[in-house]
Amino acid sequence: MPKEDFSRKALAYSKFYGGKVGVSPKVPVRSLDDFSIWYTPGVAAVSRAIAEDAELSFEYTGRWNTVAVVTDGTRVLGLGNIGPEGALPVMEGKSLIYNYLGGVNAIPLPVRAKSEEGLIDLVRALEPSLGGVNLEDIESPKCFDVLDRLRAEMKIPVWHDDQQGTAGVTLAALFNALELTGRKLKGSRIVLFGAGAANVAAERLLVKAGVNPKDIVVLDSKGILHPERDDIDQLMLKNRWKYEIAIHTNGDRITGGLKDALKGADALVCAAGQGPELVKPDEIRVMNKRSIAFFMANPVPEMLPPAALAAGAEIVATGRSDYPNQVNNSLMFPAIFRGALDVRAKTITDPMVIDAAHELAAFAREKGISKDYILPTMVQWEVYPRVAAKVAQAAIREGVARRKMTAAESLRVATETIEHSRKVMNALRRNGIILDPPE
Amino acid sequence: MQIRRARKEDLPAVADLIVRTKRLNNEFDPLFAVVADAKTRAEKYIGSTIGVPDKLLLVAAEGSKIVGVLRAEMRERLFYEPHHEGFITDFYVLPEYRRKALGNEVLQQASAELRKMGAEIIVADVPSRNEIANNFYSKRGFRALTSSFGKSP
Repeated sequence: MPKEDFSRKALAYSKFYGGKVGVSPKVPVRSLDDFSIWYTPGVAAVSRAIAEDAELSFEYTGRWNTVAVVTDGTRVLGLGNIGPEGALPVMEGKSLIYNYLGGVNAIPLPVRAKSEEGLIDLVRALEPSLGGVNLEDIESPKCFDVLDRLRAEMKIPVWHDDQQGTAGVTLAALFNALELTGRKLKGSRIVLFGAGAANVAAERLLVKAGVNPKDIVVLDSKGILHPERDDIDQLMLKNRWKYEIAIHTNGDRITGGLKDALKGADALVCAAGQGPELVKPDEIRVMNKRSIAFFMANPVPEMLPPAALAAGAEIVATGRSDYPNQVNNSLMFPAIFRGALDVRAKTITDPMVIDAAHELAAFAREKGISKDYILPTMVQWEVYPRVAAKVAQAAIREGVARRKMTAAESLRVATETIEHSRKVMNALRRNGIILDPPE
Repeated sequence: MQIRRARKEDLPAVADLIVRTKRLNNEFDPLFAVVADAKTRAEKYIGSTIGVPDKLLLVAAEGSKIVGVLRAEMRERLFYEPHHEGFITDFYVLPEYRRKALGNEVLQQASAELRKMGAEIIVADVPSRNEIANNFYSKRGFRALTSSFGKSP
């Protein structure tokens, strides 16, 4: 379907349905008497129990499965700072995906925050109602600080999808691309073009997954990051995440631009900005044989796949669904939270994300990877419970789970919860409660 | 890592580090905008320090690579005791060599050399708004002695 069609339909359908998600009951109302159970006076007993032990809020209410999708609207998709109201349709869409693919009760919640501190205060104040927080579309470098502080201060998982989600799926794609081209993670030379939320997180995950930081070269808009770049002191003050990367990556002290970085590189991961000619064929040509190139910018990748393939790249991926190998956050975030919520995790650690990436890659390998299929697609829904179960087990191993369960139980619980969401959707459609849109 | 007096051949590398300190000052304060030909000026400035008896130019070197510099000179405090001060005009360590006690070692060695040159007090000159420099000296027992105030006329 052409892009204009998607846009036209999105406007028409959004108006027709008046939004994409809403709160719906989970309990029967058989007679008015039931209200005396679900509400006063019966509910007071539940409140008293929770007041005595707040942890019971995870048992007696929907908190265990509830995630807020929070944004301040400062960096929405490729649209920039369009404000919280403008971000609402995006957060609704994300909530729908959380629900349908992860069985998560996700609530879209753009907020008007005047400052970083204000945003942190707002999110922190939401904790009693939530099993987790998904931060979304917050500008960099503010997003790093917000995530780090909220992760440290809240006892429920806080996830910034533009950092951890994108990086996690990228890692999964890279696992299989390296496998197909006969490489190991360790020893591969990887270039990250762009030093915003996604690639800063990708760098950290790559290192934790086993890449030698000396084999990674990161570029921002001013060129290759290295410890002696002229603006290094400025980075230390203004963007300490990028500063740390400049200090510990790039063991060969390569300086200059993308072409310099790509000489002898095995893989390129771009999260740099709108293409289609941000990366040029002569830059791809200097990479090693059987090179890997991911172009993650949406809607226009830094380079279009046919051009990259023509320039010699063997495996090419983008963020788009109309080319093979879509590296899409939606493959990960529903499963990450399914797994984290199932064991009442207090946080989502990097090893949990890395395990999720391994499982995502393993699923694709079982189906048979090729240069046009390095990741599962969103319609292979069986992948979600499997990834969720790995996340749950990793949380237990990492010591951040409030609840223990076996691997088999994890898989069963995740499968049931996700299937429940799909059953609800099917039932609502079958019964004409959710109508098909008018043509 | 070696901390030693600078030699003529260190000049270009040292000048580069000196310019970095000036740029860093500018990060904190717009009234420290760095001139375009700062590198040339830095070479001249440093060149006139090497081998001068009441001036000190120390470098930290890893092999042939200069990773830090400290420039100081002896000054007289006309009206005050202690009378002779060892006055640190410039001090810089490349970021990747920070947090490894190198700065501390350079400062220690400079203090010792300045004492030998007659210093009874060690004074370092840093812009008020340069938090990194202010923290560095405060943590090592230095305290603010004078303040200079500036405004555009």
